[in-house]
Amino acid sequence: MNGWMGKIVKLDLGTGVQEIVEVGDETRRRYIGGRGLGVKLYADLCSAATDPFADGNALIFMTGPLTGTLMTSGRYQVVSRSPLTGTICDSSSGGTFGAVLKAAGLDGLIVTGRAPTPVYLSVHDGEVDVRDASALWGLDTQQTQKAVQAELSAKASVACIGPAGENRILFAAIMNDKDRAAGRGGMGAIMGAKNLKAIAASGGASVAIADPAGYKDVASRLDRMVDKNPVTGKSLQVLGTSVLVNIINAHGMFPTENFRRGVFNDAEGTSGEKIAESLLQRQSACYKCPIGCGRTTRTKDMSGEGPEYETVWAFGAHLGISDLTAITEANYACNELGLDTITMGSTIGCAMELCETGAWTAGLRWGEAGKLREWVTDTAYRRGIGADLALGSKRLAARCGRPDLAMQVKGMELPAYDPRGAQGMALSYATSNRGGCHMRAYMIAPEILGHPVFLDRFSTAGKAELVALFQDVSAVVDSAVLCRFLQFAVGISSFAEMLRTVIGLDFSDEELMTTGRRIYTLERLFNNRAGFGRGDDTLPPRFFNEEFQTGSSRHRRVRLDEMLDDYYAVRGWDKSGAPLPRTLAELGL
Amino acid sequence: MVKFYGLLRRHVPKAAVEIAADGLTVLALLRKAEEEAGGAFLDELLDRERGLLTGTIILVNGENIRLGQGLETRVGAGDRVDLFSPAGGG
Repeated sequence: MNGWMGKIVKLDLGTGVQEIVEVGDETRRRYIGGRGLGVKLYADLCSAATDPFADGNALIFMTGPLTGTLMTSGRYQVVSRSPLTGTICDSSSGGTFGAVLKAAGLDGLIVTGRAPTPVYLSVHDGEVDVRDASALWGLDTQQTQKAVQAELSAKASVACIGPAGENRILFAAIMNDKDRAAGRGGMGAIMGAKNLKAIAASGGASVAIADPAGYKDVASRLDRMVDKNPVTGKSLQVLGTSVLVNIINAHGMFPTENFRRGVFNDAEGTSGEKIAESLLQRQSACYKCPIGCGRTTRTKDMSGEGPEYETVWAFGAHLGISDLTAITEANYACNELGLDTITMGSTIGCAMELCETGAWTAGLRWGEAGKLREWVTDTAYRRGIGADLALGSKRLAARCGRPDLAMQVKGMELPAYDPRGAQGMALSYATSNRGGCHMRAYMIAPEILGHPVFLDRFSTAGKAELVALFQDVSAVVDSAVLCRFLQFAVGISSFAEMLRTVIGLDFSDEELMTTGRRIYTLERLFNNRAGFGRGDDTLPPRFFNEEFQTGSSRHRRVRLDEMLDDYYAVRGWDKSGAPLPRTLAELGL
Repeated sequence: MVKFYGLLRRHVPKAAVEIAADGLTVLALLRKAEEEAGGAFLDELLDRERGLLTGTIILVNGENIRLGQGLETRVGAGDRVDLFSPAGGG
């Protein structure tokens, strides 16, 4: 089968029973793979009543038809219901694991049940072997990967959890290929609940290509476009994602001290430019990626990967911290323990404001860099105040009687763009299917960076249509599965061409956009059934009620009410945010 | 004050220069900045026809010139100009 290995295995860790899940051609066409197919399989297997930590919950590792083929195709998607948010969730990670899973003979792996004792899975030649992981339990993510490779093969690609996942921290990550993370939404905690420490893949199978000559042509054109584009061909390579620090700060929307200000006076000292001249050892790149936005870094005492933009912010400006070494070493700790850096940092910032207002008495103070690693570590082990930080910001702030101080949407902490500085991004946050995330519709591209066109960031006009469009395109790319950074260089037609040459099916641009819409709507249906609705498509009150007094986003508030009804109308949803019957019929849902 | 960010810093020795900009257009200011900063950086911001590259960000007092008169936007005395070569991230 072109583009696919032809095998998805479902494994019940409780009984050890394995079965092959058949997916028809029509379903593959309608959901592509990766995120889309993962969500479809999840919705068929589980319901909105499924507790994320229940034995009956499914954790789905999915590749796409492009995985293991063109540039940036080493990625994989993890789909389940998030323990942090209760929404449907997919979390994406780079590295090589996705490509190697296919080389090991599988398109996807669905894990249900709970192993009686810790196990890990070895995938090779299309077979899944359940192995004892008692000796691995308690190891950090770096130790785990090395131990599994020592047992199996140095060439094995390993996705695993650290202590945070074992302890079911609601924002535990799955780490693979050293420091790549399926970070958001707590997918690592679900592995922990299943007593599943790691999945290792190895093998040499290759992906069959439908049109080898066309594929070669597409690959070389993609090479040229990515190389020629100043973002993918230059900026991301030299300065990494943290090049955004100075840009977002100059726009007065770099969230500072829990989103109370939009300008961080010490931004320059934590910028991508600064990292390049201080900590950077070399670039690092995922599978077949010519961009190499990753940063291999070294402090005086430690070395590792990162920090990237979101992490620089979460442990930096968000906490009033400008000590780049402390930020970087907190990042290393998250990687080792297996924690999402955004939620971790954001929760500490929330805790600092709770303490400042007197709502909590734990004594955390703005700018306190010396204790960052200790707080992160204590969170992974639920020790001391770490047991409180492990709640995430929404639960912690609610417990302290100040739910308004948690900077989250649907329970997921917001990333490093203040929505008062970009109205489209505000709508994107509010309507994201997995909560406060920037990856469903990255409106920063048009509203700040001018890609593919420049839009007035303070205008609400036309933003509803664009957010829906960006959400749909993103769902397609996440389902193909390729790196979203390619979108800086190529558009939807290029993705259609890639799919055509690999799978052998013609997708028009319109069909792909409908597919993205189908995936987004299916996710929305799941969330609606789980009790989410219009009232959850909102932002913390700070963004509607408080204005910055300085910076170029001063005197601005989010005007969600000017966009939300339009967004629902564009989507074909009713005023409560539920898809209309005709919309479901159009999409075949 | 003209400030350089991102890849521009690979072309100029300092991250900022003071320029008497009273009434200059942004384009004229950029040319002057090249001279005074001692480095040729315009190719990072402009295309061959000397229009803005997709993704170039030029802020005058925090306002993107694309919302004003583009490269013809006038810069006054004491204005702050931030120059960013095309960039992305996430």
